[in-house]
Amino acid sequence: MATASKTPPGADPKQLERTGTVREIGSQAVWSLSSCKPGFGVDQLRDDNLETYWQSDGSQPHLVNIQFRRKTTVKMLCIYADYKSDESYTPSKISVRVGNNFHNLQEIRQLEMVEPSGWIHIPLLDLVNRPIRTFMIQIAVLANHQNGRDTHMRQIKVYTPVEESSIGKFPRCTTVDFMMYRTIR
Amino acid sequence: MFKLTSLQNFSGSVGPQTGSSAHTPCHAPHRQMDTVLMETPQDTLELNRLNLESSNSKYSSLNSDSSVSYIDSSVITPDSVSLGTGGCLLPKQAQNKPKSGRSLLGGPAALSPLTPSFGILPLDPSPGDTSYLQNFTNSGSVMDPPPPGIPPKKSVARISQAGTKSVFTQSGNSREVVPIPFNQSQTTAPQTSTTPQVLSPTIAAPPNVQPRRSSRLFTSASSTAKENSKKLKMKFPTKIPNRKTKTKISKGVITPSNINDTFEILKLDSSIMSEGKGCMITPQFQAFSLQKAAADGLMNLMRDIGKGYLALCSYSCKEAIAILSQLPSHHYNTGWVLVQIGRAHFELAEYTQAERIFSEVRRIESYRVEGMEIYSTSLWHLQKDVALSALSKDLTDMDKNSPEAWCVAGNCFSLQREHDIAIKFFQRAIQVDPSFAYAYTLLGHEFVLTEELEKALACFRNAIRVSTRHYNAWYGLGMIYFKQEKFNLAEIHFKKALSINPQSSVLLCHIGVVQHALKKSDHALETLNKAIDIDPKNPLCKFHRASILFANEKYKAALRELEELKQIVPKESLVYFLIGKVYKKLGQTHLALMNFSWAMDLDPKGVNNQIKEAIDKRYLPDDEEPVTPDDFPYESAEVEESQESSMTDADDTQLHTAESDEVFLL
Repeated sequence: MATASKTPPGADPKQLERTGTVREIGSQAVWSLSSCKPGFGVDQLRDDNLETYWQSDGSQPHLVNIQFRRKTTVKMLCIYADYKSDESYTPSKISVRVGNNFHNLQEIRQLEMVEPSGWIHIPLLDLVNRPIRTFMIQIAVLANHQNGRDTHMRQIKVYTPVEESSIGKFPRCTTVDFMMYRTIR
Repeated sequence: MFKLTSLQNFSGSVGPQTGSSAHTPCHAPHRQMDTVLMETPQDTLELNRLNLESSNSKYSSLNSDSSVSYIDSSVITPDSVSLGTGGCLLPKQAQNKPKSGRSLLGGPAALSPLTPSFGILPLDPSPGDTSYLQNFTNSGSVMDPPPPGIPPKKSVARISQAGTKSVFTQSGNSREVVPIPFNQSQTTAPQTSTTPQVLSPTIAAPPNVQPRRSSRLFTSASSTAKENSKKLKMKFPTKIPNRKTKTKISKGVITPSNINDTFEILKLDSSIMSEGKGCMITPQFQAFSLQKAAADGLMNLMRDIGKGYLALCSYSCKEAIAILSQLPSHHYNTGWVLVQIGRAHFELAEYTQAERIFSEVRRIESYRVEGMEIYSTSLWHLQKDVALSALSKDLTDMDKNSPEAWCVAGNCFSLQREHDIAIKFFQRAIQVDPSFAYAYTLLGHEFVLTEELEKALACFRNAIRVSTRHYNAWYGLGMIYFKQEKFNLAEIHFKKALSINPQSSVLLCHIGVVQHALKKSDHALETLNKAIDIDPKNPLCKFHRASILFANEKYKAALRELEELKQIVPKESLVYFLIGKVYKKLGQTHLALMNFSWAMDLDPKGVNNQIKEAIDKRYLPDDEEPVTPDDFPYESAEVEESQESSMTDADDTQLHTAESDEVFLL
């Protein structure tokens, strides 16, 4: 494992948002944590600030629960983790589970990270490679680097694919010429 | 600009109600303005024009009784840019004989009963002649074309321009007097917030005023006549050049030429007077005829502007553009007219032309805020984010209390796909002015983009509550019902929007799609044909027509349509995608795959899934397909697995389009 390649950082999700292909929908969900240290809770996890973080304060696995009001299409998750600043608090094994409620969760993704240093993109696809539709997502931190007990997570973003073209079931248009006539504003 | 504003306030305050003469609160500022004005007689014209453009309404409030003394000149209604002229007047008055100046303003103002516009008619003022002229001009400007206020501004501006020149020459009183005449005429329009009001008074004024004026003139003329004659004598030399310039200036506008004529007459009169005849009547008549001519000119101008505006409001945009383009250039190149023309282009979905015209407006009147929300939406459609953010910054810096500025800011962030921030700005626009319908519409669109359809419905309904003729809101409601697949309701709302704006090809296109969704394909095709007739440049209509033909299995026709479309929009991946599907149905797998590959090239990320699926299905029946299709599934998978590349979609598209260009060349 020592010689395993480090997980390369992904692109800034903001860039993704600007392409108009995905939209951040974390604000439409209710977030809860299995445990947290005072002052290092959900707000710090969702404040768009990479300096602040969530610090767990209980036993493993540490959980982040994201519950939507309605069944939502989720294309991917983005987690920011930085080994250099968090060291033993950096998660190394993450499991993503989805379902309808707490008793109905099923793991769909498990990934291992080795000394991550930026954004980790986790696409959530079902068996036919389509974005999943779910009421609830649970991110479980199963293990940390250097076998740390608690974990730091700096930021989590949830993305849904943007609706295809405004009329019809066609995919999005790409040129400005087409898009100009697509809608009246 | 600074001076102008003060002037405006002045004139505003002067208002036709000058009678009250109660020193309005503006009085103090007026004083200051006087000083300011004194410096700017030469710039009056320019100022006047600018003043006109500036928000008259603000000044209208000031118009209250405007201490007549000074206000006389300021009587110029705020609307009338004359404020600038008013400014001119002020200095004049200040300099010459404050009294006479006052009388000019005060006289007419006091008498103002007739018409604010004419209010300036000097009852006893030395500049009697000029005052008459002024009155003419004012009344003319006061005309109230149907559109509230906007025309007045324009006309006023024009009047001020014309007036100032002519007035200057004419007003025997003094240089300053000259400007005043204009101002007065302009101010006549009671700057009341509603321009129509302003307009009407002026219009009414001419017929009413003239008789009164004459009487006044006769009564008061005696004293002033002598002074006037002397002054006129002096003015002769100066007048001549002015007249010449005036004639040059007035193109289609009768007023200037009338004024010129009147000036000539006056000149003659003055010459007569200089001879010491002291005949009061002749100059009076001259003045009257001048005024009448000026009023006529103004009325004509107002009527033309009104016609143009009416055409625009009933959404016959091409007609509106034609009418407004026939205005003389010094009226055409003003903020208001250009904004209306820009808006006409916008409603026709000609966003590039609209953008060009609006940038011209920004160049001419960088302080103008009204109409900028349309400019921002044009930029949004054209996706010019740099220009849009610059505009947003300028406007929010300039005027934080205008809903238009916040709408522009919201549009800017919406273009950057920061919908939450855009929502915040649109809500701010609503807070600033709850009667601004467009803010509600834009907010509704943002909610649609963030999938909060109930809130969006509420916003569009609010917009309709504020303004029933706001067809964008009806369209928005239709869109929401379409998304919710309530096609009947969607069609009803789209048709309602169409009844308000019958020439919109985008609307027709949407109706066509909804009808197709309702399985009324014939109607759909009819509607789309109509849309294409109205606007052949709309590629989406053709695209949807092709897709309906495809759904109805008329493949050849669909292909024809799509080939045409390929010529119009060669870089659009959707076109190739649809062509590929048609070929697939026709069994020409080779061509189908080729087109799918082109579509993938043009849009690697967006359409991945759909195209990939299409290719996969394509792939299954055909085993001996070339290797190319193999790559696509892998590519897409890899794209999804790997970290998203740092390149934006746009970059990819550009790169790919470059590659596909090569493909085409092959």
